[in-house]
Amino acid sequence: MDEEQLDLSGEEEEITADVVLKTIQTSWQNERLSPEILPHRNDMVECMLGQIQHMERNINKLPKTDLRTSIHKMELSRIKYIICNYLKTRLEKIEQNCIIIINDEKQRIESGTNYLTPLEYRYAQEHLLNIEHHLKQTILNQVPGNMQVFEINKMSTVPNLQSHVFLKANETVHGIVLEDHFGDQDEEIDLEEGSQHILQYKFIADLVKNGKVQLI
Amino acid sequence: MDPYEIEFIGENRIVSIIPNFSYDKIYLICGEFGPFRAGLPMNVPLWLAVMLKQKQKCRIVAPDWMEVDNLENIKEEEKRSRFFTKMPNEHYMVEAKLILGAASEDIPNASEIKTIIKDIWDIRMSKLRTSMDALMKSGGSYGRLDHLTMMEINSVKPLLPAAMDELLRIQMMSKKTTPATLNSSTFSQSGTSQNT
Repeated sequence: MDEEQLDLSGEEEEITADVVLKTIQTSWQNERLSPEILPHRNDMVECMLGQIQHMERNINKLPKTDLRTSIHKMELSRIKYIICNYLKTRLEKIEQNCIIIINDEKQRIESGTNYLTPLEYRYAQEHLLNIEHHLKQTILNQVPGNMQVFEINKMSTVPNLQSHVFLKANETVHGIVLEDHFGDQDEEIDLEEGSQHILQYKFIADLVKNGKVQLI
Repeated sequence: MDPYEIEFIGENRIVSIIPNFSYDKIYLICGEFGPFRAGLPMNVPLWLAVMLKQKQKCRIVAPDWMEVDNLENIKEEEKRSRFFTKMPNEHYMVEAKLILGAASEDIPNASEIKTIIKDIWDIRMSKLRTSMDALMKSGGSYGRLDHLTMMEINSVKPLLPAAMDELLRIQMMSKKTTPATLNSSTFSQSGTSQNT
C-alpha cells in the first residue's frame, strides 16, 4: 500500500498521488464555479482511477476488522465523490450548452487544444442528435412544411461569461483590465498573491485555465 | 456550492489528535500519516480525526487558535476594524463546527468558545452585508474581499454575484439606449439620423 510514486504514461516526470488528488480537487472546484466548460483533466482523472483500483485490490486483502480498511474506504469514497461530481458537472454543462460547445470544440480540435475528452465530445454530439430527433418527432414533423426546419442557431444557449465570480489569486498577476463596456472607463487592477476578488468571469477566464487564479 | 461541500473541502485540513491505540504508519492517497502511538499527539486530516473520534479511538487536540483569550482578541479586533481581519484559519467555522460537534469534551471551555466563534461570525456577516450594500449602491462591478473565508463567501452566493450580473445588465441596457436618444436629439437638428 506504499505505492506513492505514480507513473503518468506519456510523461517523463513522476508525480505523487497527493499532487494528482490536489489537482483534481482544484479542477473540480473551478469547474463547479465557472460559467463555461474548462479544459478537461482526464490525465489526472485516469491516473486517480487507476490508483483507486489498486487501493481497492489491496483493501480486499486486509482482514475486514482491520482499522485501516475503514479508513481507506472512507478516503476512497471521498475521492470518488469528487471525481463523480466533477464529471457530472461537466456533463451538465455539455447538455446545457451543447451547440456552442460543439462549435467551439470543432475549432479547438483543429488547433489541438480540445477542452473535451473524446468521450465527452461524442456525448455532446449524441445529445444534440437526440434533441433534434426528439423535436422533429414531436413537433416539427407535425407543423406545415415551411416551418419544419430545425434552426440550430436559434436553439443555441451560451454561458454568461460576464457573470461575476469570486476568485483567489494563486500568484501575483499585474494589469488585469476591467473593461468598461463602452471603452471609456477601463480600470486596471493587480491581483496580489493570496488576495480575493469578485469580478466578471471573462476578465480572468484565461487565468483560471492556466491556474494563476482559483475560483472560490 | 452547497455548504456541505465547503465543509467537505474544509475536512482536508490537518488537525492534531491523541490516539488511544498504536498502529503503523498508514499510507493514504492524500499522504502518509502515523505511526500511531497511544498517548502521543500526531497530525491527521480533519475527516479522519472525526472518524476516529466517533469510533472512540482518539481525543482531538484543540487547535492553537481555538482558545478563549485568543478568540476574544480576534473578536475585539474584528469589532474595531472597518475591514475584515485575517482569521486564524481559512476554514475556522467548519473546523469549529466539526470539532466542537464531535469532540466538545476534548476542548477546554467548549461552550464559551462556541459562543465567541458565533459572535465573530455574526460581526463578520453583518460587515459583509454592509459592504455588499455599499458595493451595490456604488454600482460597482468589482470588489476586493481579502480575508473572507470560503464559507462566508459561499453564504452570499448566489445573491451578490447575481445582483451584480443584474446590475451590469441594466447598465448595458441603459447605455445602449442613452446614446441612441442623444443621437436622435442632436441629429434631428441637423437632419441626419445616423446612429453610430
